[in-house]
Amino acid sequence: MLRRFRLEEPESVAEVSELLGRFGESAKIYAGGTELLLAMKEGLVQYERLINVKKLTGLSGVKLAGAAVEVGALSTHHQLEDSPVLKEKLPALVKLEQNVANVRVRQAGTLGGNLCFAEPHADPGTLLIALGAKMVAEKASSKREIAAEDFLVDAYETALEPDEVLTKIHVPVPAASGRSAYLKFGYLERPSVGVAVAFNLNGAVSGVRIAVGCAGPAPRRVPEAEALLEGKSRDEALGRIAEAGAIAGKASQAISDLHGSQEYKEHIVGVLLKRAFQSALS
Amino acid sequence: MAKAMTKRSDAQSIPVSFTLNGRLQEIEVEPHELLLDVVREQLGLTGAKRSCDVQVCGACTLLVDGRPVSACTTLAFEVRGRSVLTIEGLAQDGKLHPLQEAFIEHGGFQCGFCTPGMILAAKALLDENPDPSEAQLKHFMHGNICRCTGYKKIIESIMAAAKKMRGQAR
Amino acid sequence: MQFQKEVEILAPREKVWRFIWDVDRFIACVPGCKEAKTIEEGKRYAATMVEKVGPFKVEFPTTIEVLEREELTRIKAQASGADNKIGSRMKLDLDVSLREQGDKTVLGFVAGVDILGKLAALGHGIIKRKADQVLDEFAQAVKAKLEGEG
Repeated sequence: MLRRFRLEEPESVAEVSELLGRFGESAKIYAGGTELLLAMKEGLVQYERLINVKKLTGLSGVKLAGAAVEVGALSTHHQLEDSPVLKEKLPALVKLEQNVANVRVRQAGTLGGNLCFAEPHADPGTLLIALGAKMVAEKASSKREIAAEDFLVDAYETALEPDEVLTKIHVPVPAASGRSAYLKFGYLERPSVGVAVAFNLNGAVSGVRIAVGCAGPAPRRVPEAEALLEGKSRDEALGRIAEAGAIAGKASQAISDLHGSQEYKEHIVGVLLKRAFQSALS
Repeated sequence: MAKAMTKRSDAQSIPVSFTLNGRLQEIEVEPHELLLDVVREQLGLTGAKRSCDVQVCGACTLLVDGRPVSACTTLAFEVRGRSVLTIEGLAQDGKLHPLQEAFIEHGGFQCGFCTPGMILAAKALLDENPDPSEAQLKHFMHGNICRCTGYKKIIESIMAAAKKMRGQAR
Repeated sequence: MQFQKEVEILAPREKVWRFIWDVDRFIACVPGCKEAKTIEEGKRYAATMVEKVGPFKVEFPTTIEVLEREELTRIKAQASGADNKIGSRMKLDLDVSLREQGDKTVLGFVAGVDILGKLAALGHGIIKRKADQVLDEFAQAVKAKLEGEG
């Protein structure tokens, strides 16, 4: 049983923002509820009000907007795994969305909700960082873009201000030579380690972006590992991938817990980086 | 101290009009009520089970607009304007659904606790993909857990039902 | 969960030792700690620990017992508290040591922390990281307070 709460059903982002500002910590945005309701059932959080954002229009769905793919924050994982635009432009993201949790969570859970809850053991954030995505945060009077690598700050903490609403996620359309891959590992219900890699392949490997997630409190980009591979030929890059993997492992901020020891997770990061890189190359 | 089941005067009441197993239902729920509790307690349909309560096991699976949801983690008011299918609504005029027949014929259940959820999830799979490969079946059914059968018979049951349903569709 | 911290303070040992027993100033250095009370001077204290990780907030009314005390050198203490709202308990075993190093004092902490109940569901890793952070901030605050006073 959940504790009683009042349901608010605003119809505009400005209204949502106003409610958040007015009620502060006693109110919370509610979309798919796949994370929020679990925490509420456990008694870990309590709210006097839930703000149902599913009546807002124009915030779900995928469309091509110039040089970027625009994903509405209210898009469910199921919508994303089925999206023709994503299948054409961002197949790595489609594969990720196909493998989020299980079919029921994908049906109800939204990408925006996943990013805003910022549960450490989650998939999308890691790949979105590697793809150079930007999050659009809105409130009544303003709108700003936050780079994915700055959006996920810490475990259960984002860069959103208390009265800001995540409305869209912009993912740059990769170049024709663009390659990307996301691999995850875990044997518990949530993933233990996730690694994403993206780059352009034009003889040499360029524009390398590497991100590691799930092992630490929030997904992180690993510029040091990227630098090792940047500008190298395909074979040279493969030759240095183990070194890059070790650096990425250390950068993952892995901590020993039920998902595995720190050393084990750091090792898995290296394994996944190599495989993701090879997968992206093929 | 006895727990009062009557609604408080200041409780927020949400009218929920929806189709349940093909019939129109009009109920009122409070925002915090979970779909699983409303279906089991208020509507008396106990096929769906509360098992893990964290949407991992699938024993509470219901179909809302043909898609599987975890009733344990769905607020009841979310079904307003939608159609809900429970295991009790699968058989038509006393005739079992091919999935139900297949589960019986192929031994797809033992204790039966996971079975309502398993069958409804399988129905959603076959409605979306009438001829799934075993890999596709396993991927879709990944979120439904069974502790008894070891899954082999469940897969056989679903594949057999799928074949029968494809035959009937012609 | 075990933690170990050491911080070098540019202050004589006696000053650091006195500071530890000045409950109000000492407690002010513990992040999230408020309403400190002396129940029995030198033996028993009470405080409320408030910690937040994202949307998750805990409030532990805590009792601290001093078990052993070696003048200017060592303190052994135990703290325990429960947050009934969330259904969790916290237990802390603390060993504080002081040693001289030239004109500096090295203040060392060895802490054993146990979190029981629902909060543990949050993830051992998150709690460990938070506890580590709290101890770090605490050690730095003590150093800053003592050195800042000249």
